[in-house]
Amino acid sequence: MKKFVIIILQLCLLWFLNELGYFLVEALNLPLPGNVLGMVILFGLLMTGVVSLKWVEEASSFLIKHLAFFFIPIAVGLMNFGPLFFQNGIFLVIVIIGSAAVGIYVTGLVSQVLAEKKEGASDDRSRDTA
Amino acid sequence: MIVLVTLLSMAMTIGAYSLSKVVGKRYPSPFTTPVFFSTAFIIILLMTFGLTFEDYTLAKEIMTFLLGPATVALAVPLYKNRQIIKKHSGPALVGIVLGTMSTIIGAILLIKLFSLSNEILASISVKSVTVPVAVEISNIIGGDPALTAAFVVATGILGTMLGPSLMNIAKIDHPLSRGLALGTISHGQGTAQAATEGELQGAVAGVAMGLAAIFTSIAAPILVPFFI
Repeated sequence: MKKFVIIILQLCLLWFLNELGYFLVEALNLPLPGNVLGMVILFGLLMTGVVSLKWVEEASSFLIKHLAFFFIPIAVGLMNFGPLFFQNGIFLVIVIIGSAAVGIYVTGLVSQVLAEKKEGASDDRSRDTA
Repeated sequence: MIVLVTLLSMAMTIGAYSLSKVVGKRYPSPFTTPVFFSTAFIIILLMTFGLTFEDYTLAKEIMTFLLGPATVALAVPLYKNRQIIKKHSGPALVGIVLGTMSTIIGAILLIKLFSLSNEILASISVKSVTVPVAVEISNIIGGDPALTAAFVVATGILGTMLGPSLMNIAKIDHPLSRGLALGTISHGQGTAQAATEGELQGAVAGVAMGLAAIFTSIAAPILVPFFI
């Protein structure tokens, strides 16, 4: 019961920061989503010690553990695009998979090669890449 | 009636998600990832009952209420892993920028190859950033908001389904790189997938999602007009 109350209170804090993020994005016309700005704000508050890790930890780990859940209702909206899909769906799927694969490989390989080069240069910690 | 349908929709969604967790654990495959499995399951059920997405909308609004706070919560793993992320900030930034560019250009070239419309081209070019930002950019470059949202969601699903296997094939095994790639290409859904791999992966994916959104909002309005 006590744990439940703590999680609810922590959720309120996270919710407030989310609202603050959306408000600032709107007010300052920033090119990023409000929830991402909320994340940046919380990170800043943790870094400066204004917010202690204990205040948000329980609710955060719960939400992150079930992050995928929140995308399911949004994805169900794809059912409205049935006609478009049957028209040229196969091409669209190829475009999406092809461009996603290129992006995943470029991001992953570039960062891995650079990170390993740096790790090799800065310390002798050898990582098993096999 | 609406109350009943909404309660039923919510029960169905939570049930499908729980089932996907069990099935995904026993039979790990791209088709048993939570979002793909549950979404397919729910769409089939809704259609069986003769319901439309409009009937499901209220349930959707209620269930996605915590998506914003969940994104804010990503600051926690980010904070816990700040030393290692700071150490790799250079490689991470280069990876995100080049990855974002290559996925935009890759999508444009494939659209040209299949000679699809400019509206589809503009809408699909921003598919790798989270919905609210993608819709904004799409408006600027002549895309369609609803179409854009659908492409973003499809990219989230397909990237999350295939990303981990693609990276295994290429031996991309650095936790930093796996998180970056998933967050840069498949935004929130990729971040959710990365978080199941580990705390560090989830944290960098969250950062990558944010930076990819910012970078795309600068790059797409410059790049896309060249191809239209």
